Amino acid sequence: MSTQASARSRLSRSAAIAVGAFILVAWTVFPFLWILLTSLKSPTDIVAVPPTFTFTPTLNNYIALLFGDQSGGGVSTTRPDFPRFFVNSVIISVGAIALSVLVGIPAAYALARFDFPLKGALAFIFMSFRFVPFIVFVVPLYLIYQRVGLHNTHLGLILAYQLISLPFTIWLLRSFFMEIPVEIQEAAAIDGCSWLGVLTRVILPLSLPGLAVTVILGFMFCWNAFNYPLMLAGRNTFPVTVGAIQFISYEQVLWGQMAAATIISALPQLILSLMVQKYIVRGLTMGAVK
Amino acid sequence: MGNNIQRRRAQRRRSRVVLPYVLMAPAIVLLVGMVYPFAVGAYYSLTSYWLQYPQRFRFVWFDNYIELLEEPLFSQALKFTLGFTLVAVVVQVGLGIAAALFLHGRVPGRSTLRAMMLMPLMIPPVITALMWKIMMASTNAGILNHLLSYIGLGPINWFGATEAAMVSILIIDTWGNLPFVALILLGGLQALPTEPYEAARVDGAGAWDIFRFITLPLLAPFIVLVATFRTMDSLRIFDVIYATTVGGPNDATTNLHIMAYQYSFQWYQLGRGMAQGMVLLLLVVVISYLLMRMWDRAAERTPK
Repeated sequence: MSTQASARSRLSRSAAIAVGAFILVAWTVFPFLWILLTSLKSPTDIVAVPPTFTFTPTLNNYIALLFGDQSGGGVSTTRPDFPRFFVNSVIISVGAIALSVLVGIPAAYALARFDFPLKGALAFIFMSFRFVPFIVFVVPLYLIYQRVGLHNTHLGLILAYQLISLPFTIWLLRSFFMEIPVEIQEAAAIDGCSWLGVLTRVILPLSLPGLAVTVILGFMFCWNAFNYPLMLAGRNTFPVTVGAIQFISYEQVLWGQMAAATIISALPQLILSLMVQKYIVRGLTMGAVK
Repeated sequence: MGNNIQRRRAQRRRSRVVLPYVLMAPAIVLLVGMVYPFAVGAYYSLTSYWLQYPQRFRFVWFDNYIELLEEPLFSQALKFTLGFTLVAVVVQVGLGIAAALFLHGRVPGRSTLRAMMLMPLMIPPVITALMWKIMMASTNAGILNHLLSYIGLGPINWFGATEAAMVSILIIDTWGNLPFVALILLGGLQALPTEPYEAARVDGAGAWDIFRFITLPLLAPFIVLVATFRTMDSLRIFDVIYATTVGGPNDATTNLHIMAYQYSFQWYQLGRGMAQGMVLLLLVVVISYLLMRMWDRAAERTPK
């Protein structure tokens, strides 16, 4: 009798787990699946009523996206913008995170290992950028960039992206540096290492995984940026995030190409996020949670 | 000889004093470059700067702020900003606790589920919005309306009707950020001490009592922390709204950030736009300060 009851409760428990897992998977994966299907559909299949799961897949949306619209008899009628947007995203994101890391390593080292007046104030200012709505930065930046010729340039965007990546880089690197026992550093100093030696031979090698996490997450934040480039970039420098919304115009929405563009824009993120999945929560909270 | 040693020591001490500033110097240069536009923006909020009428530029003190109080769109936007944040944080934290508890239990394939949950979290929010925009097509070709028709609902005009548009943005924002909440809380659950649970089991406490009187209080610091992060971002949500409704229909989904954007970049009234931006900043600072104090108290109460 009691074994029967416990068997039944075990059964209902696994049923509950199955339902929960199904909801979680469906909620998370279905949008990706549907967009992937949409990106493989022809225009007629996309507007089919009711929506269809069975259709003849076509790569035309991707071809149009990457090589231009081929509908004019195999000859490309328009020059595709999207490959350029993708290259722009790579240039700006790599440039921004490279600058942030270069500047951030010594700054994080100073904040982690030295006591100096103004330290608290500097740390506070860097943190406080997290609170400011982007609009307050972007309007003055827009006017300044117009005047000094940084508008619609990669350099201008790399500099503006420091608002996203630099405070994050400094804060996260600082938290990784602080984990290294001071004793190791002191031992190196007694052996005659200068501060530079301590940094390059002790701190950096020991925090290499942390550095990799910082670089990858910082790259992802820059890749995801939308509102700064929306205002500060132009046709030559738009990244994929801004490029992807341009499939919506007054005349029509190019659903298929937009779906293909979202898949391609999300792809680097999906691959990179798997590499640093253990550290993502820590990165997103700037080290507030380990 | 001794003199020499003293001089070297003094030198080293001096370098200990100067060195941190040398290390910080490049960052400080960039910092100045970041603070400068902010200061300019704050200054503009006190002027009548209108890009099309530069000759009207005057310093007007707090006129822009005072005028906001009489602007119907402002009270609407303020209401939507606060209302959306409250609902979004409650919904996302509530569902996040449920998801975290689920993943904390003995679920087969847990690490796969965790890795899968990172996907919505890491892709650009604007891309998330476009993905849902495709699914939320209000025609009969929209997959969500099609799925709803199976349970006798719909069709819903996802972005065209006032209330539906608000809910749509909530759904999109939740899809993108629920994993963040769930993963932080899961980390919190895994860090909890086991002794109280063993004691409760000995006392024969039920599952609900264990959750209510042990898990929830112990998890409180993590809940407040994650709520703080979500509050800060929900108050300023921009990308998702811009990519879907652009504040419509009838300004129903216009929050302060979208409003400040419209004033600045559509009507070029930079003075007013910046004043709205500063109000939003004030809101973010005050609310997150209150939440952080709550966090301090929650962290104090928790036995270490």
